[in-house]
Amino acid sequence: MELQDIVSKYPPKQLMLIPIAIIVLALISLGATYLSTGSPVKLGIEFTGGTLITVPSTESQNAVAAQFAGYPLSDIRNIGNRYMLQFGPMSDSDYTDLAKLTNSKFESPEIRHMGPIYSKELQAQALRYIPVSFILMALVVFLVFREPIVSLLVVVSALADILTAAASMNITGVQLSLGTVAALLMLIGYSVDTDILLSMRVLKRKGATDDKIKGAMGTGFMMTGTTISAVIPLIIASNFLYLIIPSFTRMDVIADMSTVLIFGLAADIFNTWVTNAQGLRWYMDRPRKALRGQKK
Amino acid sequence: MVYGQASKGAEGAEKMSLVNELSKDRRVVIYVAAVALALIFIAVFGLKFGLDLEGGSYLQLQLQGARAQIDVSPENILKFQFNASDVEKHGDSFVITIPGKVEATLPEDLGYSGAKVVERDNTTKITLTAASETVVTNYLKKNMDADVKIVGVAPIIYEIRTNVTRESLNALLLPVGGKVPAGDDAFSEGVTTETVDETKKVLDSKLNRLGLQDIKVKVVDNKFILIDMAGMDVATAQDVVGKPGKFEIRIQTENNQSMHVLYGDAVESVEIPQGDRNGGWGVPFVLSEEGAQLFQKAAIDSGATKKPDDHYISMYLDKDEIFSAPLAAELAGSLQKAAIRNMEARVGAGDAGSTKAKELYIHLREGALPVNVVVVGSGQVSAALGKQFKIQMILAGLIALLAVAGMIYYRYREKRIVLPMVTTSTSEVIMMLGVWAFMGTFVGWKLDLASLAGIITVIGTGVDQLVIITDELIRGGEAMPAASERSIKERAAAAAEKAGAVKVSPASSKVYLSRLSRAFTIILGAAATTAVAMLPLLYMGFGALTGFALIIILGVILGVAIARPAYGRIIGHILAQN
Repeated sequence: MELQDIVSKYPPKQLMLIPIAIIVLALISLGATYLSTGSPVKLGIEFTGGTLITVPSTESQNAVAAQFAGYPLSDIRNIGNRYMLQFGPMSDSDYTDLAKLTNSKFESPEIRHMGPIYSKELQAQALRYIPVSFILMALVVFLVFREPIVSLLVVVSALADILTAAASMNITGVQLSLGTVAALLMLIGYSVDTDILLSMRVLKRKGATDDKIKGAMGTGFMMTGTTISAVIPLIIASNFLYLIIPSFTRMDVIADMSTVLIFGLAADIFNTWVTNAQGLRWYMDRPRKALRGQKK
Repeated sequence: MVYGQASKGAEGAEKMSLVNELSKDRRVVIYVAAVALALIFIAVFGLKFGLDLEGGSYLQLQLQGARAQIDVSPENILKFQFNASDVEKHGDSFVITIPGKVEATLPEDLGYSGAKVVERDNTTKITLTAASETVVTNYLKKNMDADVKIVGVAPIIYEIRTNVTRESLNALLLPVGGKVPAGDDAFSEGVTTETVDETKKVLDSKLNRLGLQDIKVKVVDNKFILIDMAGMDVATAQDVVGKPGKFEIRIQTENNQSMHVLYGDAVESVEIPQGDRNGGWGVPFVLSEEGAQLFQKAAIDSGATKKPDDHYISMYLDKDEIFSAPLAAELAGSLQKAAIRNMEARVGAGDAGSTKAKELYIHLREGALPVNVVVVGSGQVSAALGKQFKIQMILAGLIALLAVAGMIYYRYREKRIVLPMVTTSTSEVIMMLGVWAFMGTFVGWKLDLASLAGIITVIGTGVDQLVIITDELIRGGEAMPAASERSIKERAAAAAEKAGAVKVSPASSKVYLSRLSRAFTIILGAAATTAVAMLPLLYMGFGALTGFALIIILGVILGVAIARPAYGRIIGHILAQN
């Protein structure tokens, strides 16, 4: 494996430049989006408010859109044998009329309406809960290792995963929805799994650091591999199955969730085996006196 | 394919001893029992699916309201409201002096019953008995068109059950020289837990009365109420929640006959239930002017004013009797002379009376909610679409399980490892479903789209932990998976030999146990981070992701507590047998 050789070939400080560059790029992407839209990632309809309707139809896109003339239609897309229509904010009575119209004209519609209070509350919740989740994770990590530098390395790798996953949302056009928030929180918890494995192996086992890192890599790749192989079916079932089997439908929540997870998991491979591993190499290779805290 | 004919027989014997040995292990026994119990739960209770998989609508309501302290003198309020020249307080009463004449109904219009109005020398003196807080409450009610309730004493806190801010409240108090005192304690958004519960009860009783099955009313954050209604489109759902019930008062004529008196539109307002000094409870209500006349006419026509004890007044909501009692003698006497607007339905004394009064209060309001609510979100999924989602997710779950099994096989190439791993992973899913089947029946947990996605993610993370255990035990991590010079089996055998597993019983080998405990340190760390990161999701998104978070947290706990310890033992024995 190439990554395996790279890990031990170059001095840690040199290798650390790569993750630092990636984090900087991610921050630039998030910052640029923040400056242009007011939030670091693009907000989906749940966070901006509005109405989302999907209806089954064999008619043309324009014909379906025409049925909803008079309502603030902002987007229409074909998702399998259904159309997804997105509406901007409207009054309560307009919404009730829209719901009635949709139910009278289409066989089995799906409707989701997010009022301004809902989306405002959701924004506040996301701002409150994502950091809480991260802090809780960091606390557990510190409790597990009781080693400030080792714990910090794990937490930094996790942070890099989240930043990369969030930045990749901007690049792929995935918007922040309830599903993607769930995926980001899932990543916060999950991304440290391999870091914990790596750090435990390096700290608790005897032998050369590079060998221990390589050994942990075998297990770690397998772990990320099984998770990715569980997430890929989710992507296929939610996002692509409808292209093959016309009676199936795109499942937005699951599609967004699994896309973010895949990016986060990919970032996790890199951050665990480069960012965290190099940090550990550097930490273990430091002059002995710096290792006072760590007694065998 | 690795084994020859001869070794197969030996393997069979080994399996026998494996089963014997494992059946003595406490962890394995607990695990087998847990899976069996889960299967029984699933078979007996069945799985309950959420709205997004079964079809139906949901409404998300926000309760509006705030609690505030108020600095104001009741005399000022009365002076302002009655346009009075002077207000004096005498004990429990206020004496209001108004220049000129006023309508005799003015006190009643402003919410004061039993006031004495005396007119002399072109001035009117009104004497009314009311506590200072009642004056403030009446003023707020009148101007906010909402219920106001006292929810705290010393300092007195008023709960205003509609959308109100500190600024709007101060603006309202300005003409009467009052204000909300400074400080964060003096004003807080949101209503009390009791009020939220009361609102939930009103909704519950209303939806139950309409005979709607399968309706779930849930409170989130003490501020939002979520209503799930199976098999109903969203427009109908909004109608049902917003539509008042049909209220009717009837009066007994002769024998068991009764006649119609009035409908709900004649009830102008209903007051919060009150207990009197003797411990009796009642619900005061106010009739409109026409309503009062209708009531008087019916009481006289039926003969109730003459013989009140023989004429029961009955109240019905959607044809169900909610109250029935004879006309009070005192009221009968008054009705003989005039129409009465302020009435009270007396229900009895003690705790029973208090409960009855609260119920009647809800019914009298025809299911109108005690708090002003706004619909903040709503939606619907059709049953057909939900069914399709379910099929797609089950398909995704099966593919995920297969893909994970494929990954394991690719790495270990050893069915003695792959089989227990896949079995453990599958059994974890069974345990989760078992918990959901049980909780679904008794607490109403449902499997929605998000929780199905949660199960699939747990398959992924669960197998990770099995990989950690296996690798730690065989030290497979020391070499790369592609290193095929030494098969995993060989390494396992070598590891077991090193651990002294062949000679001594594997489960008691020191090396084996220390490796297992190291594996569990990693697993516990990993499981704990995953679970705590999910905690906030339990509360986020108005419960939309509670299922996802809950199933991941529970799946992780079940895995760490039951499935993985057993797996550690089983795989240890299997590895040692080569």
